[in-house]
Amino acid sequence: MDVIPSTTPDEAVRRSAKRTADLFGAEYLMVAPSVTNGSIGVSYRRKAEYEDVKELPPALAEKQAKAAAARSKRPKISAQPQAESTGDRSGASTALVRRGPGPGAGGVAGEDKPKSLIQRPSATRQQPPDWHPPWKLMRVISGHLGWVRSLAVEPNNEWFASGAGDRTIKIWNLATGALRLTLTGHISTVRGLAVSPRHPYLFSCGEDKMVKCWDLETNKVIRHYHGHLSGVYTLALHPRLDLLVTGGRDGVARVWDMRTRSNIHVLTGHSGTVADVKCQEADPQVISGSLDATVRLWDLAAGKTMGVLTHHKKGVRGLATHPREFTFASASTGSIKQWKCPGGEFMQNFEGHNAVINTLSVNEDNVLFSGGDNGSMSFWDWKTGYRFQNIDTTAQPGSLDAEAGIMASTFDRTGLRLITGEADKTIKVWKPDEEATPETHPVTWAPTLGRQRY
Amino acid sequence: MTSIAEGLFKSLPKPKYTGEEEELPQHAQRGPRIVGPGQLDETQIVLRRTGPPPYGNRAGWRPRAPEDFGDGGAFPEILVAQYPLDMGRKGTQSKSNALAVQVDAEGKVKYDAIARRGHGDDRIVHASFKDLIPLRQRVDMGEVSLDRPSEEEVEAQMEKTKNALASLVSGAVAAQTPKNVKGGSRAEPTFVRYTPANQMGDTSRKNDRIMKIVERQQDPMEPPKFKHKKIPRGPPSPPPPIMHSPPRKLTAEDQEAWKIPPPVSNWKNPKGYTVPLDKRLAADGRGLQDVTINDKFAQFAEALFTADRHAREEVRLRAQMQQRLAEKEKAQKEEHLRALAQKAREERTRGRRDSRASRSPNRSRSLSGSSVRSRTPSEDEEAARERELIRRERRQDAERQLRQSRMGTERRIQAMAREQNRDISEKVALGLAKPTQSSESMWDSRLFNQTSGMSTGFNEDNPYDKPLFAAQDAINSIYRPRAQADFDDEADAEGEMGKIEKSNRFEVLGRAKEGFRGAADAEERSGPVQFEKDTADPFGIDSMIADVTAGGGAGQKRYGIQEVEKESRGSKRARVDDED
Repeated sequence: MDVIPSTTPDEAVRRSAKRTADLFGAEYLMVAPSVTNGSIGVSYRRKAEYEDVKELPPALAEKQAKAAAARSKRPKISAQPQAESTGDRSGASTALVRRGPGPGAGGVAGEDKPKSLIQRPSATRQQPPDWHPPWKLMRVISGHLGWVRSLAVEPNNEWFASGAGDRTIKIWNLATGALRLTLTGHISTVRGLAVSPRHPYLFSCGEDKMVKCWDLETNKVIRHYHGHLSGVYTLALHPRLDLLVTGGRDGVARVWDMRTRSNIHVLTGHSGTVADVKCQEADPQVISGSLDATVRLWDLAAGKTMGVLTHHKKGVRGLATHPREFTFASASTGSIKQWKCPGGEFMQNFEGHNAVINTLSVNEDNVLFSGGDNGSMSFWDWKTGYRFQNIDTTAQPGSLDAEAGIMASTFDRTGLRLITGEADKTIKVWKPDEEATPETHPVTWAPTLGRQRY
Repeated sequence: MTSIAEGLFKSLPKPKYTGEEEELPQHAQRGPRIVGPGQLDETQIVLRRTGPPPYGNRAGWRPRAPEDFGDGGAFPEILVAQYPLDMGRKGTQSKSNALAVQVDAEGKVKYDAIARRGHGDDRIVHASFKDLIPLRQRVDMGEVSLDRPSEEEVEAQMEKTKNALASLVSGAVAAQTPKNVKGGSRAEPTFVRYTPANQMGDTSRKNDRIMKIVERQQDPMEPPKFKHKKIPRGPPSPPPPIMHSPPRKLTAEDQEAWKIPPPVSNWKNPKGYTVPLDKRLAADGRGLQDVTINDKFAQFAEALFTADRHAREEVRLRAQMQQRLAEKEKAQKEEHLRALAQKAREERTRGRRDSRASRSPNRSRSLSGSSVRSRTPSEDEEAARERELIRRERRQDAERQLRQSRMGTERRIQAMAREQNRDISEKVALGLAKPTQSSESMWDSRLFNQTSGMSTGFNEDNPYDKPLFAAQDAINSIYRPRAQADFDDEADAEGEMGKIEKSNRFEVLGRAKEGFRGAADAEERSGPVQFEKDTADPFGIDSMIADVTAGGGAGQKRYGIQEVEKESRGSKRARVDDED
């Protein structure tokens, strides 16, 4: 660590400190207490002048270690690695962030541990992402006359439904992309669709405050769920019970009994539009994301909030529950966060999609898709939060630049097709590239050495 | 009275506590004790202690005030109700809403107790910095299990949820169904056999009675007795802790980028009306900013202007010069022509003189010569005169044409008008034709001081004070011959009518062609007719006096009314003021 002769010693000091920090992570400077009062110069001087006395002679070190072990008080600086090693066991450490016993720090020998004052933040802790094939455009279905704002795939994976700003619901053959049916009845944009796996019913909701239940045997509306005070923006079906959860511009999520059409619960608490609602079979059975930048987990039996997640800074427009893991993700403008389910513990960030994210989808292969309002699409590895693909959708010819935008998305039941509803009035179907191999599309991932901010 | 009271006091035992000079036991003392100067001695001075007395001295001691506990808890060996720190004391509710400090299992203060206040225990509250760290990087995290809950757990949960919701649904359904009429179905009456027991030692046997208990009939139309009152909402639970950093301050670019024009703004135009482009531009506000124009524009414009003026000046000068040159040339040419003409005239005169000179011998010769030769020159002269005439005419024509061609348009038009007898300039000069006085029509004559104006009452239905063609009727009636005049003979009347209509009627009345007789030579009058005051005395009194005074008996005596009147009468006439 020699000082590179440069113009001014001041600059040299700064550079040196920076390099040190880069190399050893922020932990190095955290070790030096002088940094707490803000002088990098002191730490540099310590580095430069007292380099040789940084490590105690082995005899002294042993003595001190013994003394430290004898003391009941926690050693301050020199014995921190030791405290770290005990901390893992007892769980009583003051450190909030765990770093594993890195091989670069002290090796295996316990004798070496007290010698080093610094510890390299363990890079090996970061899990390498799995390889996923890149996705490519397979089919463009143009048939709607407005923005395609909602999509739902049928449980048997034969067809899917799309609801658009032209107030229609269209049913398309998933394999061929042919139009099968057009359902009219809404008098404003159709914002939410769901096909029940246990009934021959299709549910739809729209900006006309209506929630409709369509019988797919007669293709007629058989029920209305009346009660929302403003546009209904999202809809979810309970996987086990005959329940329907809708959320909308009036800032409440309503739980409906499918058969009797009665409004079982009005889940109040959000102070803004409820932009997305998801249902799952175990508590929290209802998760809602709102434009007041919060995600709420609801206790369905009591109709109360279980917890509020306030980590997002801007309105949460998208939610996605993983089909196999007990986790879910939420997306607000420029940030996607992953949560663990019963308690809503924060798991990780998906960093890099700088757009207004309208929709999220996950499939069973741990691929998370996020579609932005400006047409940007990102594909992520669910486990690690690594973005393996980042493309922009192409608006259909004849549309404006502003019409490149992803409004809705869903994976089909196999997870091998991604269907996106876009602002250029088309539905696009994407599939993973079959020819791609890890060799042709390698994972360009490197563990981050820098200090992590949360 | 007093004797009775004394007797009563005497009969009663002596009171234990008089309330006057009672020595409170030491433990019962509270606050400072006031002692007299004589009472004070060293043995009586004790240190004032707070807190409980030491062990052994606690007989009869009761902890009551908060300071009796001395920062400690209750004394379980003293069997009285104790309220250390006033905890649990009824009646005095503490005003503060401060929470007691709680610690967790590790001995750390649970700060999230504030956020949990008012929530149940199962409420998920993320309140610490720990909750911001990704799960796998937390220290105390063991193995993180991400498995979905097992089927049994889910089943149990589903059962619980289903039961909870089923009650809600049934309640909701029942609420939706129409309520049966109040008091419609009454329960069946119940019969109770009542055997009275022995009362007040009355052992006589009583008849047991059978009672019928019927539900009281209710009025089905009765309004509700109790008003349904809404319970006010309790205090809200605290908001969830905010787990993100405060929003960054907006940069200027961001603000600029997020400036939404009012026509498309959801706030300014919530119904989404289409706003015309010009209104958009007006609402944009960009047009309202004053445009600063570079000074150089003004300089440039000025330079252009001066250059233009300069160029025009030059052109004008050049044109002037050319005109002058042309004039000079023309004058020269004219001079030349005049000179030529002069020369020609001179030549002619000389030639005439010559010819006269030559002709005179000729004439003499003709006088003397033969008749044939003499006749020939006469014919020649006649022909020459004729030719001369024609030539003069032609010259005059040419001259006139030349003059006309040289005339300006105005003059030419004037000349043409004069040719066609349409020129009235002379008439105007003579005062025969006057332009119409249009200034009169600019004023509403009703507003002037007229008898039929506003003052006399303005008839709104008829704004005209007099008929427009009022004179027409009179004229027609005056000048048209009456059909009834010669009614006896129709043919004669027809002929008369035709004659009258053919003849120009106004020949004699107005100056149709040359005016009234004698009107032509009358002088033009510029003002109204003026009258001269008659100073002459009609009765000749003045003259009589004058005669009397001046004549003084000159012998010219007149008697009665004589010739004098003739003169005075003649002077009384309208006379035209001459105004010369």
